[in-house]
Amino acid sequence: MSLGAIGAFLVVLLVVFVVGNLWFHFVEGVLERIKGVFRGRREPPAWHPLPPEQEDDK
Amino acid sequence: MGIFSKLFKGPEVDMEKSNANARKMRLLFDQVVENGGDYRIIFGYTEDVARFNYGFVHGSKTKIGNLIVGWNEADQTIVVVPTVPDLSGCGDPTYYRRSEILKAYRNKYPTDAFIIYPDKKSYIGINAYDWLEDESLYVYVSQEGELAAFTQFFMNQFAKK
Repeated sequence: MSLGAIGAFLVVLLVVFVVGNLWFHFVEGVLERIKGVFRGRREPPAWHPLPPEQEDDK
Repeated sequence: MGIFSKLFKGPEVDMEKSNANARKMRLLFDQVVENGGDYRIIFGYTEDVARFNYGFVHGSKTKIGNLIVGWNEADQTIVVVPTVPDLSGCGDPTYYRRSEILKAYRNKYPTDAFIIYPDKKSYIGINAYDWLEDESLYVYVSQEGELAAFTQFFMNQFAKK
């Protein structure tokens, strides 16, 4: 197999990878939007931050 | 010999970092749990694995939720507080009192986890290990002794069929 053929094969793999990722994120985005419509507006869960003086104590 | 033993030695726990995180866990826990000092605590996590098939793209997604898990032997109660790997904050606690839960057992397959069913409709699976190295996903804390104590409590006092 020539170097060119190997290069072409790698490019095809890269294209498949990129398109697959784009497709995944596109479908995820659409599904999230649909879920958001049905879920409506929910109160965000309560969150209690660590006191700031302790946060610096690393 | 010295070089090779160093090369092949596994990862070591940074105890300074671990102790600092253990203190943070305690601060967060005591902040949201009434009489938090009466509880011993460990770090645990939940795993939510979802499979997807989007045409030619399919696989699985895993969501990990970090938890501070507290237990009180006298009250036979486990408290679960959601948190994040850097321990910058925590959510509201959920109480699992042995007298109120439906069942609790230790699962071995597919993962080693402590399972609690508060009722028929819901459950929580708590995974816990001595130490997990990946700080981006888990709280960095070494807890061999505490995990052994929790396991003993869960199996001998809390488990319920």
